Amino acid sequence: MKNFKGLIVVIVAVLLLSACAPAAVNTPAPAEVVPETDKVPAECAADRYGCAKIEPGQTIKIGMGSPMTGGDASFGIDAEQSGKIAVADAEPLHGFSFELVAEDDQGAAEGGAAVANKFVADQTLVGVAGHLFSGATAAAMPIYEAKGIPMLSPSATNPTLTQKGSAVFNRVPFTDAAQGKAAATFIYEELGFRKIAVMHDGEDYGKGLAEIVKVEFEALGGEVVEFVGITSKEADYTPVLTTIAAKSPELIYFGGYTQDAGVLANQMKTTGLENAVFFGCDGTFGTDFLNRAGANGEGSYHATPRTPPQTPEKTAFDEAYKAAYGVGPGELSPFTWNSYDCTTALIEKVGDVAVLGADGALYIPRGALVDAVRGLNNWTGISGTYTCAPVGDCNIQGPQFHIVKNGAFVPVN
Amino acid sequence: MENEIRPPRRYKRSKLPKLVRWIFGLIVLSYFFWRLYTVFIVQNEYTPDIWVRLLISGLVIGGVYSLIAIGYTLVYGILRMINFAHGEVMMIGTFAGYFVFEATNAIRFTSSTGEITSLSNAQPFLSILLAFIVGMTVAATFGFLLEKIAYRPLRKAPRLIPLISAIGASIFLQNLAQLLFSPLVRDYKNPDLIARGQGWAITVAGARLTIPYTGVLTFSLSIILMFALYTMVRKSKLGKSMRAVAADKSTAALMGIDVNGVISQTFIISGMLAGAAGVMWGLHNGLVYYYVGFMPGIKAFTSAVLGGIGNIPGAMLGGMLLGLIESIGPTALGISYQLKDVLAFVILIIILIFRPSGILGEVLSEEKV
Amino acid sequence: MNKNLVSPSLKRGLTFGIVMIIFVLIDLDVMVATMLSKLFGANVIRGSLPDVRFMVLFLILFGMFVGWSTSSDDAKPTTKLFQALVAGLTLGVVLGLFDLILNQLIVTGTDVRKYLAALAPESIRLFLFDQGAISPLLHLGLFTVASLLGSLMKILLKSESASRFFKGVKSGYQGLKAKAQANTPNWVKKYGKFLLFLLIGLLAFFLPRIWGSYNNYVVGLVGLYVILGIGLNIIVGLSGQLMLGFAAFFAMGAYSVALLNAPLPHGIMLGFWPSLLIGILMAVVAAVLLGLPVMGMRGDYLAIVTLGFGEIIRILLKSDLLTSFTGGPRGIQDIRGPTLFGQPFSSDIDYTYIILVVMVLSIIIYKRLERSRTGRAWLAVKEDTKVAQATGVNIMTNKLLALCLGAAFAGLAGGIFAARNQFTGPNDHQLMVSMNILSILIVGGVNSIPGIILGAFTLKGLPEILREIENYRLLVFGGLLVVMMISRPEGLWPATRPNIEKDEGNKLKEDGAPGEGGLND
Repeated sequence: MKNFKGLIVVIVAVLLLSACAPAAVNTPAPAEVVPETDKVPAECAADRYGCAKIEPGQTIKIGMGSPMTGGDASFGIDAEQSGKIAVADAEPLHGFSFELVAEDDQGAAEGGAAVANKFVADQTLVGVAGHLFSGATAAAMPIYEAKGIPMLSPSATNPTLTQKGSAVFNRVPFTDAAQGKAAATFIYEELGFRKIAVMHDGEDYGKGLAEIVKVEFEALGGEVVEFVGITSKEADYTPVLTTIAAKSPELIYFGGYTQDAGVLANQMKTTGLENAVFFGCDGTFGTDFLNRAGANGEGSYHATPRTPPQTPEKTAFDEAYKAAYGVGPGELSPFTWNSYDCTTALIEKVGDVAVLGADGALYIPRGALVDAVRGLNNWTGISGTYTCAPVGDCNIQGPQFHIVKNGAFVPVN
Repeated sequence: MENEIRPPRRYKRSKLPKLVRWIFGLIVLSYFFWRLYTVFIVQNEYTPDIWVRLLISGLVIGGVYSLIAIGYTLVYGILRMINFAHGEVMMIGTFAGYFVFEATNAIRFTSSTGEITSLSNAQPFLSILLAFIVGMTVAATFGFLLEKIAYRPLRKAPRLIPLISAIGASIFLQNLAQLLFSPLVRDYKNPDLIARGQGWAITVAGARLTIPYTGVLTFSLSIILMFALYTMVRKSKLGKSMRAVAADKSTAALMGIDVNGVISQTFIISGMLAGAAGVMWGLHNGLVYYYVGFMPGIKAFTSAVLGGIGNIPGAMLGGMLLGLIESIGPTALGISYQLKDVLAFVILIIILIFRPSGILGEVLSEEKV
Repeated sequence: MNKNLVSPSLKRGLTFGIVMIIFVLIDLDVMVATMLSKLFGANVIRGSLPDVRFMVLFLILFGMFVGWSTSSDDAKPTTKLFQALVAGLTLGVVLGLFDLILNQLIVTGTDVRKYLAALAPESIRLFLFDQGAISPLLHLGLFTVASLLGSLMKILLKSESASRFFKGVKSGYQGLKAKAQANTPNWVKKYGKFLLFLLIGLLAFFLPRIWGSYNNYVVGLVGLYVILGIGLNIIVGLSGQLMLGFAAFFAMGAYSVALLNAPLPHGIMLGFWPSLLIGILMAVVAAVLLGLPVMGMRGDYLAIVTLGFGEIIRILLKSDLLTSFTGGPRGIQDIRGPTLFGQPFSSDIDYTYIILVVMVLSIIIYKRLERSRTGRAWLAVKEDTKVAQATGVNIMTNKLLALCLGAAFAGLAGGIFAARNQFTGPNDHQLMVSMNILSILIVGGVNSIPGIILGAFTLKGLPEILREIENYRLLVFGGLLVVMMISRPEGLWPATRPNIEKDEGNKLKEDGAPGEGGLND
């Protein structure tokens, strides 16, 4: 026992030492821009946030805040892995390479604020591909706002985030409103169901979506017999499904993620819902669902962004991801492709605004970068084509629905 | 007691708290009865088969809770400590079973009929047995190591110290599993014989309902294991030593009982039960990931307290009861399923108000405490 | 060289071999090598691997540690070397066998990451020094030599001349200290404490302005947890009731400030200070509502009931039932910060000031409480309920009072927390928050203010500092908790407890429970 003690103490000591050691290297002089020298480009003086100065030998840092420990770690780790590929794919800019700094924000406000404060202290960090969860995002946003660091979130879907008039916050996922309305209309008009049950996983994303589906479906004249939340990843939903079965809905709409969707599709078959249709959302789309539900998933519906499902770029990314991490993209979380696109878009926009100074350092006007990210127009990534609305919602298209037939997704609308 | 000097009158113990407790309990109880009345008599929208279905899911999940709860109760009975990392032991068992099914599923050969099948489908009973044996062994090993590394050096420490150590061990094991196996939520590959979503169709009150095969397996196996454990504790030499150590460690040592050995064996047994519960959980629900043990752990701990912590039949009863409360309760009371944990804890509080030591717990007068 | 000597060394080598294998399986070896290379000034970009030299260095250090720890303290030098040799060889053989498997994976190009996520081919190559089939031999040699080196180091450092040297240094230092003490002028002795406080005060005023928002954030977080720790200490440490749902009171404060001070969902905008007061009040009300029915429950029953209470509050805050009132899983955004004399007072520096001032006030209040009649009554209840009752202490009232006061501190911290983050949601009030606060007490030392500060730093500050080690930080943290409980069960800075007899500490240790309070039954 004593040995373990000693060992751990030694390791921690080393880690602590090294954690403190590079601080001197990483933090350049606080004076960000020195306007009196002629070497600083004119863009910096004009910029409302000033410039980030990258000295030769330093890297241009892109931050990412995501839960990497705790119950939702799969989302954060997936986003980080995806972002790493994006950084690896990026061409160096005037000889400066990019670096992804992924930090654990545990998906909550406390961690979000901690990570944001850490990021703004780093002068070479210019943009944030994140945060992933809305709670952390809300806490982090004002901190980036003060410093002029643009955000491009792959997955924070809380509608109020873009209603606060933030200049720095943008996101690429569907708005819940667009998807919810399309889904309700599709169920009512194309599938012709009038009596549905709406379920959600009790989390931010799933619940927001489910609420909109309920409202829209009722507005169309349909009946929502049950609106009920489950506790995500709890894994035994038979009681709640049984109770829903008593009201005999024709279809079950579920807002949430693949893991729960797979369990629900399985358990529907033993709880008296054999004949009800399972209708998921973009969070439940993915080969992962097929693996989990198997034959029980036949005939279920799911949504994706309206893009060609498999472009050559996407195939190349999928292969690179699988080769680098051993798991397929989309297995850890449905936001793999979004995370890649967010990082890539930020990198591209940095390239658009960066100016090489006469002193050999790279200057990135922060305000111009904030505007450039907001100005994302008809930008095509592997997960879709994005145009940012003035409030920062960059995905305003409707979804594409798919049905599972013979173990594969088939587009239906 | 008779000769005890009474405290001065003005400091006499107030009856108020007890009164408040009873009033609180009665209010909640009458609320429950009112809800039950509304759902069953006024609305009455559920047919009998719905209640049978809910009963079945409650019993299945209750069996799993019972097995884990026994682990808490055994350890508590002997060491008077809350083994907070017990849920993680179950998680490890779930993973072990997962790997067995992955392996048996990967071994493929051509059967006599010329089809390509996997070992898990060709020999389903063998592979299920193997999964349980491996799951129980691995979980027992971790239970043993946990005690040896994290708790044994703290045998004489104040009560809170082992609890914090257990919390530390729980965080450590969760993160170790996450780093080893990635945070991916994995899927149990059941043999086709007990595939999820398949079951026996029976008819109750004119309605057809399905009893899942995994549910039958889980429930019957948990009953068998509980019975075996109960017999073991009552009859075997080890069981007697365990009871002796629980009653008084130093006297037990004087009687020639190897106290450390008994404690180790207790952890091994509770680890085995948790491992079996883990494999059942995986087979029945299908999800396995590093966090899978956390909530069942908390629930099982609640069950153990519900039944009276330190009391083995109490843990079994508590687990079953909690399973039933969670599955039937929300429907019977007409409240949202999101609030089923709230319901479980409120019922726990009510039971503790009326029976301060749990349902089957030893009733101690407050003076004796 | 008898068998008794060989077998423990073998066992040790085997254990460390398994530890090293786990290191490799979770890629911690690469992480430590990266850290080492940073220590030597090499800048490793995230996602890329460190130089192989640093992997060699790490393995050598590991081997040396094994050698050091295997050599028993009281053995002869030759015995020590022999023990180290056996352990090093065992370690080398175990890892050599493991290397063979790893090498096979590389040669056949098998990808096992579907199951063992961290075992990337590049990391394996790095661990094998990129030497393929001969790496087992390299490792065997390396570990044997390193282990012997470690043992040699121990022999040298623990030898008599060395220990004499250390003793000399120590006595010299003590002599200097005594001399310095004797030479201190009287005014320093008299006002030294005051000067020290002044210095700390000045530092507390100026440092937040200098060292940037991240440090302010971390210091503020630690400060908030100190306040929480003090609150919980009143409940657990002073009055002896084991509480596992402390986050519920924290949530009460946070949500009161959030609901009364944010545009959505209610748009009341009452202002920070009044809503903070209401937050404290709400926490106290919650404590009374919880306390009245459950007071008098025995230790562990109380623990699970309070745990349940914490979960009830969190689930309710998140549930569909209260979504229109609390914002549901989305939480509440845009919480307005405090103002001071009509000016906004909510920059990161201002929050640091607020938290530090509140923290100091809490400490003062706590100190007064501890020494007051009530404080002594609590201790009496905790040490021996029956005797306390006999001497005329009202158990229920005192326990309930402790619960309410503790809750008030939690409400206070929660309110500031929510306003500082401008956000609060159900995820901020999970069970782990309660566990963390309890751990602060135990790690730092129950009933000891410096202990609580140190504990708060260890539990909330350290993970922030440990951010460099990314995903491993909670693993290290969990391990540290266990180790700390084993090596320092009384806490980092145990309480001296001047008002209680000296043999109290012994009683705590041998009996396992501090009397008949709520911690035991």
